[in-house]
Amino acid sequence: MTRHHLPATPSTVHWGYFSKTLAPVLTIASQDRVVIETITHHANDDAERMITGDPAAEEIFRWTPEEKTMRRRGAGADEGPFTRGSGEGVGVHLLTGPIAIEGAEPGDVIEVRIVDAHPRPSANPAYAGRFFGSNPSANWGFQYNDLIEEPKHREVVTIYELDMTEPATVSALYSYLWTPQTDPDRIVHPTIDYPGVPVDHTTVTRKEGILSGIKVPARLHFGTMGLAPAEADFVSTIPPNYTGGNMDDWRITKGARMYYPVAVAGGLFSVGDAHASQGDSELSGTAVEISLTGEFEFILHKKADLPGTALEGLNHPLLENNEVWSVYGFSYANYLSELGPDHQNEILKRSSLDLAMRDAFRKLRRFLMTVHALSEDEAISLMSVAADFSITQVVDANWGVTGSIRKCVFDR
Amino acid sequence: MTTGRLAFSSSQVQYDPEGDRTTAVERPSGTADEGMQIRQFVSEAHSRGTRGQAWQDSLASIGIRSDVQPAGLQNFAAASMRGEADGLVLARLTVGAQTLSPLAGRPRLPIVLISRDEAINVTLPLDVLTVEPGSLVILPAASQWQIALQKNVRLIALSVADTLFHGPKTGLQALTMPQHHPPEGFAGIFIKSVEAAALEMDRLSAIEWSCLEDAVADLFFALLLQGERTEVLARPSLAALFHRVTLRLERHLHETELTAGRIARLEGISERYLQKLFEQNGESFSHYVRERRLQRARAALVAPGDIRLPVADVAFTCGFGDAANFSRLFKERFGMPPGAFRTHYTEKASGGAASTDQRGWPVKALASKQPQPRLPAGDVSGEAVSDGTPSRPPTHHRLSVNASTIHWGYFSRGLEPVLEIRSGDTVEIETLTQHASDAPDLMIRGDAAAEDVFAWTPTHKAVDRRGAGPLDASIYGRGAGEGFGVHICTGPIFIKDAEPGDVVEVRIDSMTPRPSRSPGYEGRAFGSSVAAWWGYHYNELLQAPRPRENITIYEIFADDEDAHAQALFSYRWQPQTDPFGVVHNTYDYPGVPVDRSSVEMVSPVLSGVRIPLRPHFGVIAVAPREAYMVDSVPPAYFGGNLDNWRLGAGSVVYLPVSVPGALLSIGDPHATQGDGELAGTAIECSMTGSVTVVLHKKGGRFDDLTYPLIETPTEWVLTGFSHPNYLAEFGAKSQGEVYTKSSLDLAMKDAFRKARRFLMEFQGLSEDEAIALMSAAVDFGVTQVVDGNWGVHAIIRKALFHG
Repeated sequence: MTRHHLPATPSTVHWGYFSKTLAPVLTIASQDRVVIETITHHANDDAERMITGDPAAEEIFRWTPEEKTMRRRGAGADEGPFTRGSGEGVGVHLLTGPIAIEGAEPGDVIEVRIVDAHPRPSANPAYAGRFFGSNPSANWGFQYNDLIEEPKHREVVTIYELDMTEPATVSALYSYLWTPQTDPDRIVHPTIDYPGVPVDHTTVTRKEGILSGIKVPARLHFGTMGLAPAEADFVSTIPPNYTGGNMDDWRITKGARMYYPVAVAGGLFSVGDAHASQGDSELSGTAVEISLTGEFEFILHKKADLPGTALEGLNHPLLENNEVWSVYGFSYANYLSELGPDHQNEILKRSSLDLAMRDAFRKLRRFLMTVHALSEDEAISLMSVAADFSITQVVDANWGVTGSIRKCVFDR
Repeated sequence: MTTGRLAFSSSQVQYDPEGDRTTAVERPSGTADEGMQIRQFVSEAHSRGTRGQAWQDSLASIGIRSDVQPAGLQNFAAASMRGEADGLVLARLTVGAQTLSPLAGRPRLPIVLISRDEAINVTLPLDVLTVEPGSLVILPAASQWQIALQKNVRLIALSVADTLFHGPKTGLQALTMPQHHPPEGFAGIFIKSVEAAALEMDRLSAIEWSCLEDAVADLFFALLLQGERTEVLARPSLAALFHRVTLRLERHLHETELTAGRIARLEGISERYLQKLFEQNGESFSHYVRERRLQRARAALVAPGDIRLPVADVAFTCGFGDAANFSRLFKERFGMPPGAFRTHYTEKASGGAASTDQRGWPVKALASKQPQPRLPAGDVSGEAVSDGTPSRPPTHHRLSVNASTIHWGYFSRGLEPVLEIRSGDTVEIETLTQHASDAPDLMIRGDAAAEDVFAWTPTHKAVDRRGAGPLDASIYGRGAGEGFGVHICTGPIFIKDAEPGDVVEVRIDSMTPRPSRSPGYEGRAFGSSVAAWWGYHYNELLQAPRPRENITIYEIFADDEDAHAQALFSYRWQPQTDPFGVVHNTYDYPGVPVDRSSVEMVSPVLSGVRIPLRPHFGVIAVAPREAYMVDSVPPAYFGGNLDNWRLGAGSVVYLPVSVPGALLSIGDPHATQGDGELAGTAIECSMTGSVTVVLHKKGGRFDDLTYPLIETPTEWVLTGFSHPNYLAEFGAKSQGEVYTKSSLDLAMKDAFRKARRFLMEFQGLSEDEAIALMSAAVDFGVTQVVDGNWGVHAIIRKALFHG
């Protein structure tokens, strides 16, 4: 077992897309461990706290009229003229990777164990050693068309501090209403429509004393983690899909094992979009977005070895921890192949919990029948009386319902 | 209103009803929710203090005001609206007792109202007009009117701006007297069209909506003229002449060389007079012709027979001589080129969902149902029990179960209480599962109470009514009550001094499975779980035979350190003949004793699987106010079949009181259940609970509570439903419609709104704080997808606020 370190630098990150065309930034053997740095794409919501003084973050977010380090952000057009910028923000997450796992081939399964996760401290001397995150209530949030107070259709960014003193909690520092931001390329962003746009804090009004007295228990996790899909060269990071991606499940945390079906040679694993905390549904469109560094262990399960294991027939992401097995249902189990050539747009129009519930039901039934050798009738009875379905997220275009079955049900 | 929620590719633009073009903004993520164009009001989203104002704001967009005060809207109200004031505004309204009148200073537009299930009286300065259900009234802009509603009604309201008439406005100006149209002839077609539009408007794309605007405006204009003609006999008004000219034009639009002179000659008027007619209507002849041609072309592009006709041919048949010019004009007018418009339209046109047999009342049967003012004599089970004689609180009561202390399958405000208690009293309450008959030899035999309740021979059925359906079983013939509601509920319990507007707190102190008294099984406990035809899985079974229903019998080990359930055996449902001789091919009526010899037992089943217990009551309800007999299956604001396993010992549910005494009923005990209750039932197991009941009078801490709120030692659990008050929302047909219109998407919306309101009202957060907190810390889960009115709950940890 080798232990690698993968820092976040302009040459080890990609922004807003998964791509089978990307060259791996690291190639590892099965059972290797990698310490991976991730930087949140929301760091520019308060650059002073989350970027200033951090050379890697400063380099990645550098954007002046002359220079933009990370040009492409998203799977959209990378040739102008742009509506919003290169990549057009079709996909927003800043991901570290990809990492190739030697010998991984389509049909195999890659297991990713999260060994550890800790926050990236602010490097600004004024805040040295403290941890900050951002939670925008954004235009893609569930609330956006259903606001009571004026102005309707507003976006509000709340900046949080993470206190790692046990038990770790997050508390709000201040919030501000999004105002149109002009990026260094002179494109105006009336809403949060492109990642990494520097927020000019002279144009916003801070509201202090919000959520006062409220401490949210921390749930450090990685919102986006997964492998490159085979169907297209550039795939938005927003909709989660069969190879994982933007799952936004807070259970994908220390102690969790994630299993992903391999779609391309090497698997091409990327991770980012770390969260300090999130509720089931990620209602406002984002979690408390924060930069985390994680330690991961990778185990390759070859296709031929899968029968008779929990991974037999796996064609979707699967979570295991000490308590449960969880399957992830989506509005579309593989939207890339189900929705035709315009899948990036189509999926935006077809989000539905009803479809996601249907998918979760089918996946859990398959899991119980295949892995636990239950008859269909047994599987259905067990699901009714012992499986819990929860709402993973309603903001990532391909909406999610998680179906979980407790391991203790089978242990004896 | 921006139209940016449609995810067109960035080069495309979209027609905006206001007439200017709006670039479709592609969003970086999230959902393309066309529902943005729908404006919704649900009273449940607002605190009691603010909902009156929000309701007024909502009504104002269709030019109506209500006499409710800002803090005065107590009952359920809902509105769904679409459209803008200078086009078509269409609204579905559910309105409680209040008075509606025209909004002062609104645009000079008539308002069209259709009442869906009750007659309404429109008070005019000199007259009162009664509008029967299904009829329509057109209320002119200039007139004063009032509609005093005594009870909950459902209305469709419509306003059409003159801009939609593409010129002719005289009809609107001419209208001075209200017009009343019964649903016959042309008016009948108009009413049906508007009703259909109102029901489907949520699903229409922007383009479909603008087509609809034109179609409704055309029909409406014709209806106005017709009404005018019948009032002003045989005097050909300017409006009628203009209308005739426009009709003539329609027949000649395809002529590329069409001129004003030609139309004037055909009508026998001078060209100058014709031009003047158009001018008087704020139009020019050439603009009018172009607009009509474009409209016709738009319709022709997507007309089923012409869908393969090349765009150039469509242009030609609509009188455009030059295809390129047509494309340019079309794009200017509708925001996208004709080819793209056609593609977009055809992609949208996908088939509707197939409906399957539903639980509960069939909607058709409800349409013809007569009001049922009283329960038939002898149906009310039991009478007041004396062990609840009022005394100094708190008193401990025992409510044992037998045929006279239960009601089966329904809630009713008309039931005689079986016990009266005071706030603070405790009750030891026995409940029986309706599934005991799945294994009578384990769960009924030897148990005098269960034998009493389930007693059913060819000549005697102890509890005849099971469900809210007709006693004579005239719909399906399943049995009295038709199984429209299935749960055996113990109660109702009358809570002294409880009045509408109060809140009842029911605290579950303990729950114990009811031990079997069957010889050979004494002291053991059993439960049943049915994978039933109303389960989520039923229409997509993998293995044959399909479909099938499967019953699993579990043994409950409640006293073990790790309390759990284990499957004993299972069997496939076979047609069962009940003691009255009715054959039940499916599990369609509760309490039909299963003849063991008719089914084949499978054992072992789920071998080695031990399911941790989560004892809880599936049903805790107070009587609803809207209907006399209410199916026990769909949960709603009054509680009922909540099916949330968090409602067990140590937890509390708060229920808003609708009727004097609250009339509390408890039943449907579950040994355990998963979130989702996927197959249709939990492990259904008779249990005895000890509960404490506390009455919270109006004006206290729970004043803003209008839905069932669960409190566990560590969490608040808010109950969201597809339809928070389906009884009011769907009116007379509610008990059928609720089964056809359930969706997790709707339930999620309701749970979100309730959680926001809870955080704002109970915790004093601003809206932005509430939303931020929900995203970071509130967990939403699926409660059930099998009870007609589907549930999503929001879990708010109390620890958040103790930091």
